[in-house]
Amino acid sequence: MSTISTALRNFKEPTKEQLTQIFFSVPNTPSTPTPAAGNGTDKTPPPSQEIEKMDINAVLSLGVQGEEDSYAGKLYIMAPYLAFASLDRKSVRFTIPLSTIRRVERLNARAGIYALSLSTWHGAKIIVQLTSLRPTADLFCSLLRDALKVELQRGQMRAVKGFVKTCYSEALISTTSTVADNEREDGSLISEEKEDAAPRESTYHGGLGLKFKFPGDPKKLREASKIKLWTQYLRVHGRNLTLLRYPQCTRLVQVGLPNRLRGEMWETLSGSVFLRFSNPGFYEELLEKNKGRSTTSTEDIEKDLHRSLPEYAGYQSEEGISALRRVLQAYSFMNPELGYCQAMNILAAAILIYMSEEQAFWLLEVLCDRLLPGYYAPSMHGTLLDQRVFEALVQRCLPIIHDHFQEVDVQLSVASLPWFLSLYINSMPMIFAFRIVDCFFCMGPKVLFQVGLAILKINGEKLLQIQDDGGFLNLMRDYFASLGDSAHPNSPDPRARAITRFQELLLVSFREFSIITDEMIQSERRRFRSEIIHSIESFSKRSAIRNLKTLGRFSKEQAGLIYDALYKAMCIVPPPPELQLLTAPALVATGDVGTMTEEKPETRIGLKTFQFFLSEIATWARDERIVSNGFQRRVDREIAEHEFIDRLFFFWDTSCRGALSFQDLISGLDGVIFNDLMENIEWFFNLHDKNKDGFLTKDEVLTLSETFLFIFRYEVGDAYLGAVSRFMTNAFEYGDALQPETGEAPIINEQGGETPPAVPTNQPYLNLATFRMVVLADEVLESFFETDLSASFRLEPLPEMELPVSSSGLLGDIWSTIATDNNKKMFNMFTDEIGKTIGKHQVVHRPSIGRYTKLEEPKLRESLLTPSMRHSASKSSLSAESTQTIATSTSTSSTLSVDVNVGAGKGSLPSSNSSYTPHPMLQAANIASFMERTPFAIDDAKDDEDESDEDLEDGENDDQVMDEVDAFLEAHDSGLTDADKEVAKDLLHAEPVK
Amino acid sequence: MADSAASGSVDKSVQVKLVLLGEAAVGKSSVVLRFVSNEFQANKEPTIGAAFLTQKCRLEDRVLRYEIWDTAGQERFHSLAPMYYRNAQAAVVVYDVTKATSLEKAKSWVKELQRQANPNIVIALAGNKVDLVQASASSPSVPASSESEDEADDATATPGETPSSSEPESLRQVPREEAQAYATEAGLLFFETSAKTGEGIVDIFTEIAKKIPIEHILAATRGAAGRPGASGSRPGAAAEGSVNLDGNTKPKDACNC
Ligand SMILES: Nc1nc2c(ncn2[C@@H]2O[C@H](COP(=O)(O)OP(=O)(O)O)[C@@H](O)[C@H]2O)c(=O)[nH]1
Ligand SMILES: [Mg+2]
Repeated sequence: MSTISTALRNFKEPTKEQLTQIFFSVPNTPSTPTPAAGNGTDKTPPPSQEIEKMDINAVLSLGVQGEEDSYAGKLYIMAPYLAFASLDRKSVRFTIPLSTIRRVERLNARAGIYALSLSTWHGAKIIVQLTSLRPTADLFCSLLRDALKVELQRGQMRAVKGFVKTCYSEALISTTSTVADNEREDGSLISEEKEDAAPRESTYHGGLGLKFKFPGDPKKLREASKIKLWTQYLRVHGRNLTLLRYPQCTRLVQVGLPNRLRGEMWETLSGSVFLRFSNPGFYEELLEKNKGRSTTSTEDIEKDLHRSLPEYAGYQSEEGISALRRVLQAYSFMNPELGYCQAMNILAAAILIYMSEEQAFWLLEVLCDRLLPGYYAPSMHGTLLDQRVFEALVQRCLPIIHDHFQEVDVQLSVASLPWFLSLYINSMPMIFAFRIVDCFFCMGPKVLFQVGLAILKINGEKLLQIQDDGGFLNLMRDYFASLGDSAHPNSPDPRARAITRFQELLLVSFREFSIITDEMIQSERRRFRSEIIHSIESFSKRSAIRNLKTLGRFSKEQAGLIYDALYKAMCIVPPPPELQLLTAPALVATGDVGTMTEEKPETRIGLKTFQFFLSEIATWARDERIVSNGFQRRVDREIAEHEFIDRLFFFWDTSCRGALSFQDLISGLDGVIFNDLMENIEWFFNLHDKNKDGFLTKDEVLTLSETFLFIFRYEVGDAYLGAVSRFMTNAFEYGDALQPETGEAPIINEQGGETPPAVPTNQPYLNLATFRMVVLADEVLESFFETDLSASFRLEPLPEMELPVSSSGLLGDIWSTIATDNNKKMFNMFTDEIGKTIGKHQVVHRPSIGRYTKLEEPKLRESLLTPSMRHSASKSSLSAESTQTIATSTSTSSTLSVDVNVGAGKGSLPSSNSSYTPHPMLQAANIASFMERTPFAIDDAKDDEDESDEDLEDGENDDQVMDEVDAFLEAHDSGLTDADKEVAKDLLHAEPVK
Repeated sequence: MADSAASGSVDKSVQVKLVLLGEAAVGKSSVVLRFVSNEFQANKEPTIGAAFLTQKCRLEDRVLRYEIWDTAGQERFHSLAPMYYRNAQAAVVVYDVTKATSLEKAKSWVKELQRQANPNIVIALAGNKVDLVQASASSPSVPASSESEDEADDATATPGETPSSSEPESLRQVPREEAQAYATEAGLLFFETSAKTGEGIVDIFTEIAKKIPIEHILAATRGAAGRPGASGSRPGAAAEGSVNLDGNTKPKDACNC
């Protein structure tokens, strides 16, 4: 009753190119969603041309007031996107769709300087100086030109206009620029696009917050000031599709996004906006196509809808609930393999406060696919991995806390698991969690780790007092509840007193743990990935074994070896997907539901996988050739194919599904491995008695003989051949002779007189007793059934399978390309060829039984057979194997040592129905459920309507908003020398060529 | 591990870690809620990992402090369960009497606990939602929740099989005898419960309390104080990961009571 998944084996470390793509949030073109369910929408045409990619050194200048600095970095073309990152990879960066580039001009500049001016849809003029060699620059330009042309042909340029109207920032800019232009910015850049200001009001996407209010008090959150600052920023630096991220952007994000803009900024910063842009209508169509579909995911979703931020007004209404339902269902339809995982409901509920369903849907995709990879997968390997990484970081950065946890045996994950799984939303007051989410989308997944470390660091002293998991959770809960309090309540300095514990948390996160980078996270993940895969796999192995209905006569360790062989077979010959989760004739709603018990999905394998499996276990189910060619001696193993193996497959398929489960294999093997002579003969007989009438037909006798020949095909000498031919002779002789006597058998003897030869080949002919007699008459066959048959099934520990390559860097890459199976094959072929030419090539088949090894050509062969082979041939391999196994494979599941005396306490306890009731006095205080999202009063939505600058007290300058972060932001490095800056400045005034 | 110095040295309570396991929606959270605050309500239960609650109880002259870990979640959270049941002294494995598969799942949890958890763990099996298979008349004092869906079907003790046509439908899919027999065989405490009516709920925790070797826990606690370097007992710590999937458990001996 288990499912066995080999999915983790297929994991591949992202290539360097993919990492760049991930960094720039460029959608993964091949995985641009094709809804697997409800037969694919052919919405996204597969990109026929291969994507042109190139990068080039460049210096970026914006040349507007406030952004005079130029930045050296790299410009990338990843059609259909253009991207830039400054050398430090964080000061300045952008990713913009090529379709938003309105004009490209080559600038007329000093000799030897190659510069382009790019105008974006929003009027920003980006000047890039290509500092690579001239031919490289030329190539880059021509690539850019071609890519732009393609976009034009695809009509993407036209799509931009409609799309940007769905973004709140457009409304923001257009309204504020008409309302109060008391600011000193020059409106020249945007003046031209005021033309279509008319229908903007209601077209932009927004979240539930617009109707149900946003969490928190807008005044305290200084919404008005934030909006003002963002308006200024977005006007100059572009917005939504064309946003250019300068240091100020990160700073503004760190003080918290304003509620109304938050949804759009999330999708912009995460890059999900590109998915929405390039898949218009996809979300609606997906829902339409899958309307009314019910899956396990949709059932699970249903259970959680009312437990997702239930304290928020929007989720006390049907409107919010059904939006949440649609988004989660749509995601599960698009990605059925992941489906739905608890915690996604929290995420979806959170983001839906700030963004529309369609926006939330694409953001969810980016979260599950890129930002939190593997977190919500069925094995949750990403979650487990990051918990492990987090623990390692705690060990490194906060060793004292780590040691204390070790000492008192507290598991970090009991608290930190939900932090990561729900981006802190489930742990903190929403208004604070959302600010962490802001930073997360802006600065990447490292933020989760930085904040986690900071939480522990800030609570360090108290953490050293805790003694168990429960105490840890209590402490954390109290801390999160106090985030709104002053961090320094007793400080004489009012400014210090004004700093909240939350601000302190961010400060510590980004200042003290700035050493934590995304690259570090990546490499830590690589470090622990195989460990995590191992532990997941060994966990599922143990549950698979535990969930067997019967182990038969096998020990757990032996069952483990069988599991290993099965697992290996599934990795190498994956069963067709429809078999993987073969359910019983499902409980279809045909009427009387409930009578039939629903069966759990169970992994089963088909014939092909079975052949591989058996080749791992039974010596005759593989062809092993011992090859020596003067360079090496090796054993080439191939899977044998024979009717006998198919026969075994169907013989073990007792429930007639055309597929075998782990249980079937265990039971099947149990039916042969432990047999004695008589049982083996009977087993072999039954295997060939297709209709199970207790008789073999003549045909079946022949088949059985062929089976013998198959099993003995590589035996040395004539002994077996002789035995089989004697068997056939005797079988027919006895069969014919005994024919009249086996009168009980319902022989329809039509041709009365001449009994023996006239028995049709498909009529009952030989019964078990006769068969036994014939077999026992032959010494070779007798020993085969006595020991060799059972011993030909060998449960041996498999060598460790290679995990997905986890080494990285150049060396890792090279090694991984060399060490593939294919290359090994090539190497083998190569050496074989040489061996042949020098006359040293030899191939010898390894016998399956190997009893009579010394009959012929002893010299040559004996040298090839290892002593242990000859040794084990004659005795049951099981006992020997199992002892060996116990030593090797049980070490992981070591059991507990004896735990003092159990009986001690019993006598002293009053046994009658003593006065045992929940203690009333103590009750009230104890109802605390920590991982449950506790509603925090601070999140209560306040009226947002009267928000305006006038509400701010006089002394409250907008700039003060920035105070809290300016303190800890490091200086940004433009990566340029003064001379470089001069050149860049020049370019701002350069004229286009021609 | 200076226990006396740690929290509540005055308090003579014994701390018992208890974990709830069982298929989703069998009523684990409801059972806990009934026990901890004696109410039954639509849940807004934890959805990530487990909820952690505490409840103090008095047993004779001794105060027991239950530390309850109410695991939540889908099948895919299963691999996280060891994190919650490690070191537990007691477990309540819940199934739903109206859903046969939930008993299968419960059995599998029991097996897992017996193999992977603390060897002295006291396990109780609870067949919940028994109110659904009782005639309203026979259900014990139900003050709060007399909802419309309280079906009146015969309080037949032979449920499951052949609901005769006169008896509209018995929702019961797990006969009491069957579960009882299994529990006896596996050495579990057994109760049929209803979080809705409160039936059997307190009994679970009472019986567990009686069965728990409290003296033993106390002794272990005392013993641990003198044991040098508890951290030495985690040799495989590095390989263990923060989420302990290996199910290696060691008896928990630290306890701040
Ligand atoms: N009739 C009835 N319903 C119950 C009982 N216990 C729980 N439920 C309902 O079963 C559903 C699942 O309960 P919940 O406690 O969330 O289950 P969990 O997933 O195991 O924690 C909820 O709708 C409960 O109201 C019970 O004793 N009787
Ligand atoms: Mg629950």
